Amino acid sequence: MEFRILTKLLFGISMLLMAVSCTKEVQIDIPGYKDQLVIDGSIETGQPAIVLLSTTNNVYSPTNFQAYLEGFVSGATVTISNGVETDTLTEICSDNLPPGTEEIAAAFFGLPVDVLVNMHLCAYISFGMFGEVGKTYTLKVVNNGSEYTATTNISTPTPLDSLYWKPEGSYTDRGFSWAKLSDPSVSGDSYAWQVKLAGMSNFSRTFNPFFNDKFFNGQTFDFAYENPMSFDDPMGDPEYRGYYKLGDTVIVKLSKIGKKEYNFFEKKYNQIYSAGNPFSTPTNIPTNIQGGALGIWVGYSPWFDTLICQ
Amino acid sequence: MHGILATESNETRQISKIPSWNMKLVLSFLFISFSLISFSQSKVTLSGYITDSNDGEAMTDVKVYIPALKLGAMSNAYGFYSLTVVPGKYNVEYRSVSYGSEVREIDLTKSTVLSIELGAKVSDSKEVVVNMKKTENVTSTKMGQIELQMDQIKTLPAFMGEVDVIKTIQLLPGVSSVSEGGQGFYVRGGGPDQNLVLLDEGVVYNAAHLFGFFSVFNADAVKSVNLIKGGMPANFGGRMSSVLEVNMNEGNMKKLKVTGGIGAISSRLTLEGPIKKDKGSFIVSARRTYIDILLKAAISDTSPFAGSSYFFYDFNAKLNYKLSAKDRIYLSGYYGKDVFNFSDKKGGFGANMPWGNGIAAFRWNHLFSDKLFMNVTTTFSDYMFKFGSQQDEFRFELASGIRDIGAKVDFSYFPNPIHRIKWGADYKYHTFTPTSVTAQNDTTVFDTGAAQKLYSHEASAYVLDEFDLNDQIRLNVGLRYSAFAHVGPFTRYIKGDGISTQDTTIQYQKGDLIKFYHGLEPRVSMRWLLPDNSSIKAGYAYNYQYVHLTSLSAVSLPTDIWFPTTDIAKPEKGWQGSVGYFRNFFKDKFESSVEVYYKEMKNLIEFKEGALPGDNVSDNTDNILVFGEGRAYGIEFFFKKSIGRFTGWVGYTWAKTERRFPDINEGNIYPAKYDRRHDLTLVGTYKLNERWTFSASFIYATGNTLTLPSSWYVQEQNLLFNYGPRNSTRMAPYHRLDLSATLYSKAYKTKTDPATGKEIDVKKKYRSNWSFSIYNVYNRMNPFFLYVDNDGDFLSGNFKLSVKQVSLFPIIPSATWNFEF
Repeated sequence: MEFRILTKLLFGISMLLMAVSCTKEVQIDIPGYKDQLVIDGSIETGQPAIVLLSTTNNVYSPTNFQAYLEGFVSGATVTISNGVETDTLTEICSDNLPPGTEEIAAAFFGLPVDVLVNMHLCAYISFGMFGEVGKTYTLKVVNNGSEYTATTNISTPTPLDSLYWKPEGSYTDRGFSWAKLSDPSVSGDSYAWQVKLAGMSNFSRTFNPFFNDKFFNGQTFDFAYENPMSFDDPMGDPEYRGYYKLGDTVIVKLSKIGKKEYNFFEKKYNQIYSAGNPFSTPTNIPTNIQGGALGIWVGYSPWFDTLICQ
Repeated sequence: MHGILATESNETRQISKIPSWNMKLVLSFLFISFSLISFSQSKVTLSGYITDSNDGEAMTDVKVYIPALKLGAMSNAYGFYSLTVVPGKYNVEYRSVSYGSEVREIDLTKSTVLSIELGAKVSDSKEVVVNMKKTENVTSTKMGQIELQMDQIKTLPAFMGEVDVIKTIQLLPGVSSVSEGGQGFYVRGGGPDQNLVLLDEGVVYNAAHLFGFFSVFNADAVKSVNLIKGGMPANFGGRMSSVLEVNMNEGNMKKLKVTGGIGAISSRLTLEGPIKKDKGSFIVSARRTYIDILLKAAISDTSPFAGSSYFFYDFNAKLNYKLSAKDRIYLSGYYGKDVFNFSDKKGGFGANMPWGNGIAAFRWNHLFSDKLFMNVTTTFSDYMFKFGSQQDEFRFELASGIRDIGAKVDFSYFPNPIHRIKWGADYKYHTFTPTSVTAQNDTTVFDTGAAQKLYSHEASAYVLDEFDLNDQIRLNVGLRYSAFAHVGPFTRYIKGDGISTQDTTIQYQKGDLIKFYHGLEPRVSMRWLLPDNSSIKAGYAYNYQYVHLTSLSAVSLPTDIWFPTTDIAKPEKGWQGSVGYFRNFFKDKFESSVEVYYKEMKNLIEFKEGALPGDNVSDNTDNILVFGEGRAYGIEFFFKKSIGRFTGWVGYTWAKTERRFPDINEGNIYPAKYDRRHDLTLVGTYKLNERWTFSASFIYATGNTLTLPSSWYVQEQNLLFNYGPRNSTRMAPYHRLDLSATLYSKAYKTKTDPATGKEIDVKKKYRSNWSFSIYNVYNRMNPFFLYVDNDGDFLSGNFKLSVKQVSLFPIIPSATWNFEF
């Protein structure tokens, strides 16, 4: 995560350049478009596997909401196996959701409930198999005669030693959430950091939510994270964005993920922050899926903790 | 296609096989050459130094010619010449670029040392001085070699008024710029690191200020510029593509002189003068920008970037002293630094980024005899880049750089007018710091490993002879041997897969030999004189390159990393062959040439696809590199007028440059990022009278290649891109017209001669000029880079992806005031 600082600087320089330069839209030939399947699948301890299938779109194709909806793939055969049992995932669609799941589905797709239930967005869910620590899960997708496979693992979670809050700078009632973590001595541990405030149904991701132990393998250390929810609050005071306020109750979810999965997310966030920056190298995001699809099949092993900001 | 760019099957071998016919040919020529020398009969030698009468500076490339014998010699970089002939009384012609021809009658009944000063007559004249160069275009063996005079460079249009050496050479055929305003240059399909840039024989690792928009060479401190883009002679090596020799002024031997200038973004001041008249001199020159002040005014206090600033400065100094008629010493130094401060208040982020070069060279010239000249050089070169930042509790520092300490010796031997022999040796000790990182979050210090340093020895020896086989054919045959040793201390990281194999390290102690490479580099060039003032030339050069520049970005940046050859990164190597036809017209008023070249390169270096800054921390940089090969070919047309009021040139290049890396672009051949099919330049200067000079330059070039996303997809509500084939998109063509006008103050004032009472013209001590430039006259919005932009959101239905072109410089007028006294 540290080197995103450098990426940030280069992005800043490009912003400066753009500020003093002239920018205009151009039509230019971009060869090399391939129609590819995109698999976005995850499984978490105690939760079913959820898999979304979609396709890539030509960069010059329409990018309206209809195009986004039409990108979802329906009718594929999706199975997961834990090495002993195999479960065929059920395709459920947003216009026919089981009662009580609307809000979860809305958060999953990033759409308001009233919008979602009038759409036909489909996901594949493993009602017959839930994630367990220590197990390896193999995903198989068959679509239009092509087969795609991927493997992920749910490892033992790494607990946080403690959580605390402290005011930042001159503020007395605003600050970041701090955590103390003792990283296991084996190298290659990778993590995802998510948070929500008490009363919220879904976790949010911070700006750089994925990190690994490259620089702190086996160490005990403290680190801080910002409040991502504050940026989504249109009524919030811009000056306080990023901070938790005194009295907030924060639920933290620190999930352990595999190396290949971390590699996907590291490159993904690098692309998000550097796309269009002339100082960066064009980076295609690697995948752990065999067969020519893009995307990721990831197993999360979460550790939950609660912080009361005081 | 695949046969030419085929990957070497045996990756373990260290020495490339040079074709045996090649080596035999070179050795045969050298044997014949030395045999011919032994037949020389009893003769006398005319030798000495040639200097400029106005300031005492040594004059390079002055032709010393005896028409009666049709024999001649050229003065070397230190002004020394030697011509051995049969005894007699001769008219000897001294032809210089600046002052034309001067004839002396010399009685050569015995060997004579004659050091002469040129230029007195012309400098006293009030007539308009025009370039009187008698060109060597046709007669020399040099091909792909261009010398530029600073007087000429200073009259050309300059970006923001900054006279720029590098931007001028980018106007030559076969040379292209990295990007709009960029200092990096590509020569005949080679990368920017394949150019050996020398300042008084010290290596310049970063020749650019301000991310490449300005050159590190202060025009007031520079005497001459020489670019070798093909047929590299054996006395140069270590780079694959070209040599750019920049020589600093030596300082005025006659009188104290001050020159300077005040420009739109920088000012400069130079002081030079004798330490002891006609024995020794000094020059000091300094330059600083005030971009930081201008930027402060341009960025309001409420801007998120308030507090961001940038400036650069540089300092040149040189001393020289004649210890005796046979010994002279020189001490040259350069120090320059860029400092960039970035502030993003909104993001709570600040960074400080200084980088720069330090170069020093000590040289000793010694004459063993009137035929044997020696130059010994010791050099120090240092380039460093630092980056420090703080965001909230997180502090981060990064540094990289390269430091060289070296020594070389070169001998020039002039046994007779037929042969000009050189030999010498060179040694450098390199210390590379690819990446050194410290990071801390509050009180937690992150383990970023020990600072990586790599140590290596690089050495070479060469011999070459330029000789005349007959009146038509002249050959330059040379052989260079180079060797490179990567030595300890060093930590080799070996990455495991984390399942069956774990990460391990190998620790090498100080002085341990980790890897040794060596190889022979034959060089041959030939000139065949034809009737009608024309000639055919051909050249072949084989080169090794042991240091490499690796870049993560699409444009050249100070963050690019210099990296040595190691056990994993093999030396770059390759050859270039070229053939050309040269012809002059109208008594050398016009010169022209057509050159065809073909170049192959192996063991080229790129970062792995998807590599990120910092991936080499706690790891070796070469573990994240991939290796491949390339080829380039093209044809260059050059037409130049160098005599008269109007001078200038037209250059056109058709070229193709390709790369193939097994691990990039799925192993398919792709165009290099600087592949340019067409490159046209027109440069003209018109000297209207003693006071006004006008210049114009026009460039047209095929657009650069780049890689853009060909498709988009969504994952966890994030829009992501999938990129198309490497460098498969081409920007719009680049073209630009620049104009300039220079107004000189009156050079003479009228005075009454007390002796005769008549009015006479006397040269003024104080002179100045105004230089007006317009960059990009017709305001062409040339592409600097393209990116895919997204705007709006899905839900509201106004989401849109589009390709945006960013252009940097619109029409920019500038004025600079220069003075001297």
